[in-house]
Amino acid sequence: MNRLLAAGAGLILIAATAPGQGAELRVMVKDQHGKLVSDAVILATLLDPRAAQRVRPLGDAVDQVDKQFVPYVKTVYVGSKVLFPNSDHVRHQVYSFSPAKKFELPLYGGTTAPPVVFDKPGVVVLGCNIHDWMVGYIYVSETPFFAKTEIAGTATIEDMPPGEYSVRVWHPSLERTEESTARRITVGADSSGAAAPGAAAPTNAVWTVGLKPLFRVPRASGAASPGYP
Amino acid sequence: MRLNTCTDALTGQTLKPSHAFTTVLRAFGGAIILGGTPYAAQGDWTVGTEAGLRHDSNVGNAQPASDIVADSTLKASLSMFQLLPLSDGYSLTVGGNLHGERYRQVNGLNNASVDAMLSLKKKWGLGPFVPWARAGITVGRSSYDYSYRNAWAYHATLASGRRIDERWNLWAEYTFEDLVARTHEELVPGLSGDAYSQVDHSLRLNVEYALSGNVYLALGLMGRRGDVVSTTQPNYNVYAVSRALAEDPAFGPADYAYRIKGTTYGFRVGFNYSPTAHNLISCGFQRFDTHAEGGNNYIKSIVEITWDHQF
Repeated sequence: MNRLLAAGAGLILIAATAPGQGAELRVMVKDQHGKLVSDAVILATLLDPRAAQRVRPLGDAVDQVDKQFVPYVKTVYVGSKVLFPNSDHVRHQVYSFSPAKKFELPLYGGTTAPPVVFDKPGVVVLGCNIHDWMVGYIYVSETPFFAKTEIAGTATIEDMPPGEYSVRVWHPSLERTEESTARRITVGADSSGAAAPGAAAPTNAVWTVGLKPLFRVPRASGAASPGYP
Repeated sequence: MRLNTCTDALTGQTLKPSHAFTTVLRAFGGAIILGGTPYAAQGDWTVGTEAGLRHDSNVGNAQPASDIVADSTLKASLSMFQLLPLSDGYSLTVGGNLHGERYRQVNGLNNASVDAMLSLKKKWGLGPFVPWARAGITVGRSSYDYSYRNAWAYHATLASGRRIDERWNLWAEYTFEDLVARTHEELVPGLSGDAYSQVDHSLRLNVEYALSGNVYLALGLMGRRGDVVSTTQPNYNVYAVSRALAEDPAFGPADYAYRIKGTTYGFRVGFNYSPTAHNLISCGFQRFDTHAEGGNNYIKSIVEITWDHQF
């Protein structure tokens, strides 16, 4: 796994904008009951297309550990190459039917599977044809400014050019469309509210989103026999 | 305690438990420990254990109230399976299972069994929501504390189903079962002593419904046609239609096992909860209504709680 991460790191392209020079957006996501939401993807699109867009890392990985995809939700920039290492002792057959990326990796173990290029923005739902309960998500972002909330329900997008953004939230169990969560936010604003390069204070925002119950295929089932699970 | 030892009516010898259960239980312990080691988890082997408690309202399948024996059972099993994916959506599963049961009262029915299975599965497409079919065979051997019930068990199964969505799962299963036990001496001239061998066909329809990500309900309907073994005290109505007759000292010195033909209808409802990804706790209730030849009908209910752990 360490070798894999090292290989992944080798694919990283250096950001065009020097890190630490830009503004910062800190987001907290709660559900309709006030519970902090993890695995929510925050996407910020700069409204001024003339503003410089930095290049995000183009190498990433989604592991398979204990017959689950790890992480459960992964966000990558469009065009990224994603490796699917298998850290389990059993082989997996990873696939997706999603319009954003249809692919299938024939049964494999270890790190033998070739990387998959995600060249179209959208949500890609991952599955394993051997272990039906395995599900994972890759959000392929058309904007380089994104982050994913941690267990505390918070996420930070760093090194953003100051300016006005359209910011939206996506989650696997989002009740409505991600477009319905969109807001305009000025990041790196000065005291007058205008975008100001060099403004130090991070911009904070809180989202409350409606989540619906997410049903997953049970790991154990009578139909799975023989060989549960 | 219903019975610990009894005397063979034919030979006059005292029948003693073979202690097969105890021996195999020790083997279980070792195998379960071995199954838990990382070594056993290498490759595509899936190792699982199950422990459970069951209460059967009519262990001997008897009709007269005076002959009905209810008992509770402690059971444990260890299974190992290997999935061998083939091309075009086919996969082969090979494996084996060790199983043991200990009865609270009817000690003679304590048993241990070992079986080996082979099944071929076909999935029409990728993902969890495509139809599938499976054909499998199982060969096993059961060893009872009272060895007169020892038997080879042969099963052939055809199953097919489809998960409709994340919540609904449907499948049907046909099973042919052939239990081959030792043929005992004829107690009545002309009537076979092979009372513990059985041949039957059964069909099961199953539905599962997920209440949440880790809780699902199960409903199963079952129809079975074939041999049943009913243990009662001397009973002319059963005797008149029985295909075979043998002593059944596990239940008592005056009890006899009759093999008769019957049709059983049954259902099962179950509640299944996964506290963690590797564990499943199941509670189930089963009810069986058997209509056998000569108006020999009996009913049994089974309440069961099991804990499955997959390494």
